[in-house]
Amino acid sequence: MNFMGIEQFPDYKVPGTQHQDFSPYESNGGSIVAIAGDDYVVIAADTRLSSGYTIHTRKQNKLFQLSGKTVLGSTGCWCDTLALTALVKARMQMYEHTHLKTMSTDAIAQMLSIIMYNKRFFPYYVSNVLAGLDNEGKGVVYSYDPIGHCERATYRAGGSAGALLQPVLDNQIGFKNMQLDGEIPKVSKDRAVAIATDTFISAAERDIYTGDAVCINIITKDGIEVKEVQLRKD
Amino acid sequence: MALAEICNISDAPYMKMRNFTTSDLEQESQRYVSNLMNPYVLQAPPFENPVENLNKIQASSDKTGIKIEFDHGTTTLGFKYKGGVILAVDSRATGGQFIGSQTMKKIVEINQFLLGTLAGGAADCVYWDRVLAKECRLHELRNKERISVAAASKIMANIAHEYKGMGLSMGMMLAGYDKRGPGLYYVDSEGSRTPGNVFSVGSGSIYAFGVLDSGYHWDLEDEAAQELGRRAIYHATYRDAYSGGIVRVYHMTPNGWINISNTDCMELHYKYEEEKKNKKH
Amino acid sequence: MFLTRSEYDRGVNTFSPEGRLFQVEYAIEAIKLGSTAIGICTSEGVVLAVEKRITSSLMVPSTVEKIVEVDKHIGCATSGLMADARTLIERARVECQNHWFVYNERMSIESCAQAVSALAIQFGDSGDGGSAMSRPFGVAILFAGIEEGKPQLWHMDPSGTYIRYGAKAIGSGSEGAQQNLQDNYTAEMSLNDAIVLALNTLKQVMEDKINSTNVEVMTMTSEKLFRMHTKEEVEQIISDLA
Repeated sequence: MNFMGIEQFPDYKVPGTQHQDFSPYESNGGSIVAIAGDDYVVIAADTRLSSGYTIHTRKQNKLFQLSGKTVLGSTGCWCDTLALTALVKARMQMYEHTHLKTMSTDAIAQMLSIIMYNKRFFPYYVSNVLAGLDNEGKGVVYSYDPIGHCERATYRAGGSAGALLQPVLDNQIGFKNMQLDGEIPKVSKDRAVAIATDTFISAAERDIYTGDAVCINIITKDGIEVKEVQLRKD
Repeated sequence: MALAEICNISDAPYMKMRNFTTSDLEQESQRYVSNLMNPYVLQAPPFENPVENLNKIQASSDKTGIKIEFDHGTTTLGFKYKGGVILAVDSRATGGQFIGSQTMKKIVEINQFLLGTLAGGAADCVYWDRVLAKECRLHELRNKERISVAAASKIMANIAHEYKGMGLSMGMMLAGYDKRGPGLYYVDSEGSRTPGNVFSVGSGSIYAFGVLDSGYHWDLEDEAAQELGRRAIYHATYRDAYSGGIVRVYHMTPNGWINISNTDCMELHYKYEEEKKNKKH
Repeated sequence: MFLTRSEYDRGVNTFSPEGRLFQVEYAIEAIKLGSTAIGICTSEGVVLAVEKRITSSLMVPSTVEKIVEVDKHIGCATSGLMADARTLIERARVECQNHWFVYNERMSIESCAQAVSALAIQFGDSGDGGSAMSRPFGVAILFAGIEEGKPQLWHMDPSGTYIRYGAKAIGSGSEGAQQNLQDNYTAEMSLNDAIVLALNTLKQVMEDKINSTNVEVMTMTSEKLFRMHTKEEVEQIISDLA
């Protein structure tokens, strides 16, 4: 059971030795923003992959196209992201073979939650945001905590600059705590893309783990359009 | 090498060659999705005593900057009265100091005659409520009769007991209506299960109890009972930083549950303030 | 050692030289001892009608369950060994619920039939994963369901084969009944016509006189999903048959 090497050795202390705790995780940074509209959903992630103060690469795409209308954005511990997304892709393929149809966004959202909870006692250290079109063609965003608690939303920021970006979205898209006459205004696709880009420009200014470029996927019934906008490289 | 021989290190599991055969690989990959086949089977962690060791990983966060924050839910209450059961909850989910969501659904609609509230780990509660929903539906199909609240809460308590000591964090109330009338049970991750008339769970419960106890009696009218629940949660959101968002009120009647209201705290705040002012004059 | 032809039916793991698995074929024969069940699929919905053999006046007819609910959107009619049927139905229910648990959607009828079929062919000596039974299941099942608002009817036999049908009869009277369905079924017929056709067909093939206690009728429609007809409703339909 304890093959990873903890709790293996007897409990004695030698002066001068340092005890290292089992530290299986690493934070590789990166942020995600997703915004859903009536007939589209926009999801964006920066492309910087770092560890501590070292930047590993400036060109790591963190958006995973799972199907023609579903994209998963995943950051955190990059190795966990890779393991998790590979698993989700494999299970989606298996689903397609047994049930003879492509998984809907809602089905993927639920399955992802269950798969993440499977590692309840040794969680994937990831911040996931799933964006896609639902069965009616409406845009949806699902956000997750590390052990698979899933909430449906219309916009969401996650990752290292999540706490920085979410308030901007609350203000620009959610119109939170404003005295509005009537309904909350709808956000057009172009405006959603613009807001997503702007939030990343801001995040690159204040978060060391976010920068280099932002990759944007725009999902509509006609397919997924991919855009890239350059950010600060410092 | 000789020293290694003497110490028998070569016998240690991590020194053994692993000959992967197809079925080994299959088993290996099955481990990652064991709960897709059977929801009760979760992957075991690669260390003993997950409560302690997971905390150790968490504790080293100062050095690594890595802290796994689960969403947590907070103030919930439920009480029985002559007209059924009232459940009221807030909607704030916090991951550490950060408010992860202000719109979380802390009442899980298990079926038309069974509701569960969640406090503690959001994922724990939602996952196991879903398992419970599945079990209740199977019970209904097998026995052509709805499950009793007592039996449903017992399933939940058994699950909690099975995973006791592993670090699950749940404090939930199950409310329902069955042959025996209205039912309200408290179940938590320590494995305890108690029926009762008035419960409040979560960090804001102390504030909610204050309001609840002062206004509660069995013969409340429906509207007064719903208002009592709403007011109790509102006061908890006012005093407890971990509670807030929307106050949701559900009513369990003999014909199933009804969602009475979902009101923003801010709206309630000004409403109650107004009432207070009017009283003074 | 030379096996005569008739000895190939001793085990479920041996093909005969002509390429037949006798035990499976015998299991299919066993269905023909069971009570008759009929399923008809129309564009409005599916109807399942079954005969219940009330062999003694001391029997409580309501405890003979031939049509069961698998989930809101799938109902099954069984014919053959009822004990075997229970096992397969249980599997169907668990699979449907598990599918909901993992994917938050209703299981398709074909997938449900496939899951049951996977259990149905797990007979013989235990191999990898163990076998469910040492012999084939002696049951045939009709699956009636709604998928994306459209009704479907599927049939599965002891060999595990599942095929979609417009109208299908299983059980002792199946030969005559299937012929009658073939002559009278059209894909355009209304659900009410289908109910009448199903009961008329049952009436022709049943040994006992048809009445409201020895038949069960279920309809599966996109509005009401699984719905068993009450004794009174069945009585009404039967009296209208004449």
